[in-house]
Amino acid sequence: MKLKFFISIIFFSITIQSSYKFETVLTNLDDAWSFEFLTEDKILFTEMPGKLKITSLIDKSTTEIKNVPSVQYASQGGLSEVVLDPNFENNNVIYLSYSAKDENNKSTLFLLSAELRNNTLINNKVIFQAKAPRRAPAHLGAKIAFLDDNTILLTSGDGYDHREKAQTLDNHFGKIIRINKDGSIPADNPFVDKSNALPEIYSYGHRNMQGLIVTKSGDIYEHEHGPRGGDEMNLIEPALNYGWPAITYGIDYSGAIISPFTKKDGMEQPLLQWTPSIAPSDMIFYEGDIYPELKNSFLVTALVSKDVKKVVFDGLENNQESLFSELNSRLRNIQSSPSGLIYLLTDGPNGKLIKVLPKDL
Amino acid sequence: MRIVKYPFAVFSAALFSVMLITPITSLSNLLWLSSADMPVSLISFLKVILFDFQRLGIALYGVIIVGFSIAFSVAGLIDRFTKLGGKYLYAIAGAAAVGMALFLMVELLFQTQLLGGNRTTLGKLLHIAGGFFGGYFFYFLISSERNYTFIIRFLGILYAYLLLGLVLEWIFTPIEASANFGFIFNDLSSNAQNALLRDFTSFFVASFLFSIFGVITLNHIWFFSVGIIYIGAGIFNLIAIYVHGTGFNQIFIFEFILGTWPILLGLSIYFKTKKS
Repeated sequence: MKLKFFISIIFFSITIQSSYKFETVLTNLDDAWSFEFLTEDKILFTEMPGKLKITSLIDKSTTEIKNVPSVQYASQGGLSEVVLDPNFENNNVIYLSYSAKDENNKSTLFLLSAELRNNTLINNKVIFQAKAPRRAPAHLGAKIAFLDDNTILLTSGDGYDHREKAQTLDNHFGKIIRINKDGSIPADNPFVDKSNALPEIYSYGHRNMQGLIVTKSGDIYEHEHGPRGGDEMNLIEPALNYGWPAITYGIDYSGAIISPFTKKDGMEQPLLQWTPSIAPSDMIFYEGDIYPELKNSFLVTALVSKDVKKVVFDGLENNQESLFSELNSRLRNIQSSPSGLIYLLTDGPNGKLIKVLPKDL
Repeated sequence: MRIVKYPFAVFSAALFSVMLITPITSLSNLLWLSSADMPVSLISFLKVILFDFQRLGIALYGVIIVGFSIAFSVAGLIDRFTKLGGKYLYAIAGAAAVGMALFLMVELLFQTQLLGGNRTTLGKLLHIAGGFFGGYFFYFLISSERNYTFIIRFLGILYAYLLLGLVLEWIFTPIEASANFGFIFNDLSSNAQNALLRDFTSFFVASFLFSIFGVITLNHIWFFSVGIIYIGAGIFNLIAIYVHGTGFNQIFIFEFILGTWPILLGLSIYFKTKKS
């Protein structure tokens, strides 16, 4: 019986390990948080202490970008997301989210647009500053995505200590924000005409959202960290309340019950929830051709379960598969290169960028 | 007996403080939920209070024991070498220990408030008051000689406190509780679902009540009853593994611990009674 068990484990391990090959492309990354492909062989990436760098994946040469905004690198904060403008090839504009102190010396989330020219940021403009002041930069969210109408979505987390404010509309704690590229507010935002509501808010009742994508069909998918249990993946619609912390499938880190409720009319249910927590950190919707078995799947990186969850929805049901767990690394970010190759970024100091290759490539 | 008096007084005072402190977070959360028009009922209220007492309480218990051990040792030295002794010295030491623990929790954990009830000034003051009364209780315990029944009762209460988590899970969230034991609830027939919930809930509630009755009556039979249940679970676990080939399940270690603990308490009572 035991022998059979061990043989099956060994066979299973061989099966997993032979599914994909991994190539470590970059090492010694200092708390790298996100990256974007400028070309197939060149990436732009952030490091939380406040560094923005361009690296060639061929000769590994790295250039540090100048005139990057000062950030507050502490707790969970620092230089977070970098994304390219959809029209980057023509305008060289990028967007950066980061934590920094506000005018009252409180920490909050900022969104900056700038042009990247000659390895320097120029025309820097803060286009959004969250009305979410907190003592320490925790639970910032900080993910950025573009809608088809060229407006920007930004996740603004609940600040941990301010979770109850995710349920009120007079602040940016626990909200998804929608603004124009110049920082102005779209006229069709859902709460533009509502009194006592901030007009940038697109949806609310969120916790710490670190996955945000818009599919080609225009659907917005988001995932967020729960506390102990209750990580969620949601389909985002304007004006809707996603319930945190009034309803949740998780309990507090201390063991206390945050809410005994998991459902309520007027509050959205997640598409799926992970209990125990996997700590979802980033997500793509894979549409390339290099890995046919992953096509049209959501790929969610996870810090705690140290794998990538392949998620496919079939109506209200979902099928999940754990991928790349043999890396045994806390995974911070995932991107698909222009050719469709998947790259993974590991979390923390001494981070790595890992290229995933199909076994037959 | 004098040797164990002080550690037991620390453990007891810490448990007393935990009883005072955990409801602060529970009530803070419940009050907000109520204000947000969530349907807080008596059942949900009890669920939050009791679960927090067990889950949050156990985490706090460890922290407070460490804090009290240091604070009461310092207070003891001050008491010995100065004229500042008395109940208020230990009460202030207890308050200082809890205050320091709360401060360190914030500074060491991303500068965030781990305890929901500690986010307001009132909440902080109530936590510190919990430490103050814990210190006062400590002085009460050490100021007069306690007999062995105090220790038996304390160990019995601690045992029941550990069981409380399982009891609450089976009463309030039986499907999740059954998942922890490897059951996929929805895959079972309705009769099997009924039997599972009925028997497991009864098992844990009965063993919890037996230990409480043992604490109240100091009758060894109650402790033996609980012990037999868990020792039996451990033995039949091993039989299931090695005779029926169900696969290894290391939970038998905990079953033997949960069985041995009350049997030792029962034996202590039995021999003490016989001797006297």
